[in-house]
Amino acid sequence: MNDLGKNLRKNYRVLKELMKIRFHNLTVFRLDFFAPFFVDGSLFLVQLLVFRAVYANVDTVGSWKGGEMIIYIGTFSLLNAVSMTICFFGLIGIPGKILSGEMDLYLSKPVSPLFRLTFEKMNPGSVPLVLMSLCIIVYGIKAGGISIGWQNGCAYIFWLAVMAILYYNMEVLIRSVSFYVLSNARLAQLEEACLDLCMKLPGIAFYGIFKVIFYCLLPYGLMATLPVQSLIGEMTWKLAAWGIAVVLTFSLLTCLVWTRGLKRYNSASS
Amino acid sequence: MKMRKYIEVAKVNFKAQFAWRADVIFNMIFTVSKILFAYLLWRMVFSGKEVVSGFTFHSMLSYYIVSSFLSQLEMSAGISSEIFQRIRNGTFSKYMIIPVSMEGYFVAMEAGIVLFYLAFDLIAALLWVFIFQIEFAFVTDVFILLSALCLILLGLFFMVQLSYYLGILTLKYQGIDTFLMIKNNLMALITGTIVPLALFPESVVRIMKALPFYYVTYLPSMLLIGRCQEEALAGIVIMVCWCLVLQVVIRLTWAKYSRKYDGVGI
Repeated sequence: MNDLGKNLRKNYRVLKELMKIRFHNLTVFRLDFFAPFFVDGSLFLVQLLVFRAVYANVDTVGSWKGGEMIIYIGTFSLLNAVSMTICFFGLIGIPGKILSGEMDLYLSKPVSPLFRLTFEKMNPGSVPLVLMSLCIIVYGIKAGGISIGWQNGCAYIFWLAVMAILYYNMEVLIRSVSFYVLSNARLAQLEEACLDLCMKLPGIAFYGIFKVIFYCLLPYGLMATLPVQSLIGEMTWKLAAWGIAVVLTFSLLTCLVWTRGLKRYNSASS
Repeated sequence: MKMRKYIEVAKVNFKAQFAWRADVIFNMIFTVSKILFAYLLWRMVFSGKEVVSGFTFHSMLSYYIVSSFLSQLEMSAGISSEIFQRIRNGTFSKYMIIPVSMEGYFVAMEAGIVLFYLAFDLIAALLWVFIFQIEFAFVTDVFILLSALCLILLGLFFMVQLSYYLGILTLKYQGIDTFLMIKNNLMALITGTIVPLALFPESVVRIMKALPFYYVTYLPSMLLIGRCQEEALAGIVIMVCWCLVLQVVIRLTWAKYSRKYDGVGI
């Protein structure tokens, strides 16, 4: 217990230092500060316009009306924004660091390499993206006439947190494969294609083999769908159990692939 | 004689693609994400409706097959990134010293790459038609088919011009990478590759018709699936005008900013 407390205090101090260094770097490259906000903001605005055009011609897509779809887009945008703010820019460099042997530097420091990689490139420029996503969600709730009580509100926040963990796991898992192969470019391409598809298409659209792929093997289809379903009262116990099981399985898998990968790592010759 | 130089550039770039065989195959496979999106989304929509904005389920999927094929062919985005990177690191001189027009070089380069990908993208399109069992709608009128081909070529040429123009803007603005990423996001919407522009309100479509992007992917796709045939000729005329206007803008921009390049990077 005492060790855990010590560890947490140490990690907190490291986190504070990493944030300081990061802010200093960002003030050097000021022009790049809000770039992720504008790029990803435009991406999700395009999604909103697309579904506005679709809903101008139909009343429902599956069981969802316009409001629910807006909440879905906002939720996916929020998951993406949280990742961009906290860990994306750090994790994206993992394959390069493994290939070049730069990972040595992370292994020689008295802090978990993954902890440092996760927090070393936080990007406060993405915070407006978080705010924009929240606005989209609130707009969706109003447009859909969805009443928010403490039960569905808490359920939504709970599933959002759980799916943020899944999002993080997938980011780490795909990049950890670099410990075992020369190039993970194809996996990155696969991740991009899956994200591109699932940010546009809610999980309710998947059936048969597509459901197996996007709810089980590459669970991007679950990420924003479960929080929205919990908010609009479409969540079932079976679905909830499935969601938790998937997150636990992928957490375990990520942990395993990462720790085994670190053991396999042979500096620049990896 | 002049043309031979550009044909050589196209040939070299055509051959260079053989070095990236895996990329070609994977690019081909990943076109499925666009078709899958369309298939799953419109399957849900059409489960409660027969016709949406004049499209049946199969004509909608035919539209996505054609527009996805055309958007895969359009690979000019690399030109602006290439110019941007080279101006930033001071190696843009490579293009300034070659004995061909720089813009002509990029057009020939794009032609070589497009010709290489043409067959693969066609195979991918046929494969998705077969796998998703689409009753493919295709135009039978030869005149419309030729008009569509003409528009496709003009559209590809316009996109090369646009990418070249955005690339040389680096001479003035230095950092255009964020703008290029935003442009790519918007381009998917305004060229109609995410959803057909026919789904947008009439007033929006009217504005789109005045812009060149309507004629790059959307109109050729619609013509090839046998719709909007009355717009074919007007489309060609508008597209030619846009190409001419952009050519003038490129000349003026290059004349104004080319002297800012000092070959040492930014």
